[in-house]
Amino acid sequence: MKSLFRPTDLVGIQVQPSRLWTQSLSWVLFALGIALYTHLAIVRHQENPDDRVAPTARQLWNGAKTAALQPAEEDEPLDAGATLWQQVHASMLWKDTYASTRRFLIALALLIPCIMLGLHMAIFPYFGALCQRFVLFFDKIVALSLLPILFIAFGIEEWSKIMLMVIGVGPTLILDTYNMVRGVPREQVVKAFTLKSTNLDVAYRVVLRQVLPQIINSVRLNLKPLALFLFAGEMIASSDGLAYRIAIMRRHMGMDIILPYVLWVAALLFMADALLSLVNRRLHPWYQPL
Amino acid sequence: MVSAALKLELDDYPTPAAPAAPRRTEIALRNVTVAYGSGRQGRKTVLSSIDLEIAAGEFVVVLGETGCGKSTMLRLILGQEFPTSGGVEVDGKPVRRIDARCGYVPQKYSLFPDRTVLGNVMYGPENAHSRVLARLRPSYFRFRKALRAEAISYLERMGLRAQDMNKYPHQLSGGMQQRVAIAQALLMKPPVLLMDEAFSALDPSTRASLQQQLHAVWQESRPTVVFVTHNTQEALLLGTRLILLGRHHDESAQRSNVLLDMQLPTAHLPFSRRLHSAEFHDLHEHVKRLAYKFSSMNRDADLSTTLTVEGNPE
Repeated sequence: MKSLFRPTDLVGIQVQPSRLWTQSLSWVLFALGIALYTHLAIVRHQENPDDRVAPTARQLWNGAKTAALQPAEEDEPLDAGATLWQQVHASMLWKDTYASTRRFLIALALLIPCIMLGLHMAIFPYFGALCQRFVLFFDKIVALSLLPILFIAFGIEEWSKIMLMVIGVGPTLILDTYNMVRGVPREQVVKAFTLKSTNLDVAYRVVLRQVLPQIINSVRLNLKPLALFLFAGEMIASSDGLAYRIAIMRRHMGMDIILPYVLWVAALLFMADALLSLVNRRLHPWYQPL
Repeated sequence: MVSAALKLELDDYPTPAAPAAPRRTEIALRNVTVAYGSGRQGRKTVLSSIDLEIAAGEFVVVLGETGCGKSTMLRLILGQEFPTSGGVEVDGKPVRRIDARCGYVPQKYSLFPDRTVLGNVMYGPENAHSRVLARLRPSYFRFRKALRAEAISYLERMGLRAQDMNKYPHQLSGGMQQRVAIAQALLMKPPVLLMDEAFSALDPSTRASLQQQLHAVWQESRPTVVFVTHNTQEALLLGTRLILLGRHHDESAQRSNVLLDMQLPTAHLPFSRRLHSAEFHDLHEHVKRLAYKFSSMNRDADLSTTLTVEGNPE
């Protein structure tokens, strides 16, 4: 018979919370955060009705609506009879999201060669000897310190920001892939060769297939650093993008826009992570994470 | 030269059936020495001056205590490691790299985790048949269909059921995984099958069933098998020839050598009756005593001699 909940269970290790408890507890901190913020906003607005640091829920909603339906200040205003779709399509949130997502996806695509580099470094000993020390050293270079060089080399347009992301995350991903591939049991490689595999068969059809779920997980973990470098680039030199808008709004103390933007960025990263996780599970049903 | 004490131990052995005709040498280790390390940590000799010839179709079991170089010997034959001096040949050609001359069943990680049972078993023959681009031809699909049928028949012979064919390795028990691994190696029809403590991690009943199936498959197609184990009973049950590896203990180094090399007199007995025969029981006791005599627990043993026992040890 299932034992009843006792208060001491909350600090017990040998307990198995029910699904109801797990679900409820997972939302507690969210509710607490919202309650605390609401309290703070109310208190500040009681002291100063024009307070801009902690906008109220209504102000936040209006700010989100403005971001999602109004064009940016630098763009031309829409005609009065524009449809909802036209409003969304011309809005600053759409424009900024498109600009940032485009940079993000190009950088992600450019990280694929980094993964292949890590794979080859781990599989082909001579190639590994050639690259490993250099990549280890390169990994220690603070990517942001290269930003001036990137601006000189690639200009202040798109490519400097994209290259900042690639240089910032690439070496970590190379070394991560390298370590994952080195972690594939030697028996698997030996076995593959006894089954008439060529070097490329072993690299792509045996080892890469086995480490691919781990690589996708590594990319998932690197989504935030990737966004961090994107934001750094956009805040320093850009004319659009989510971070650019946050930086502009900071000058006007526009917290009613900044906070929805921050939540939107978090939601985008959360969705990207969830999508990669789903793809990983669908493509690799055999994968048993440790 | 055979030491008197060991001769005494071996005197009771019945004469094993002599081979009908001289057989082709499948595996040869010629004066092989393997040593690791250098510099401050010193050099450690693992195998010392091993000379060994294994004929085609033999089922050789390599027995010895942990760390005596059994697996090293297997890796030499496989081409995963190379001797410090001497040479290794398989099928008359020197071993320079790992290739399909040898099938391999390790103790663990024996299957590709990302492929189903059928995918694992068909992987090798697909590679052997054609390269990736050639797989777009219609003839490849015909080949694949035939291969699938053959793979299923191999798997069924190893005791797998139809519903297991599309399972991934993590959905199988350890015993099932090893059955698949054996089928995977055998479907390539390699002249040599190397098994490195392949049944060590299995429970006794699964182990017994796999031993029986391996013996049946070996009798059917007669590949040359080198089976490494530290289980004396398993060694005597499966093999036609026993090689006992043991260490020399001296002041400067530890090195292993072939301490006993004998055709097993019990190999002629029917497999099902082998385990319960008095002959098997006697031999088991003898070999156990010998293994202990050469083990690291008994350092007074006379280790200067390699015994080669073919036919009557007299």
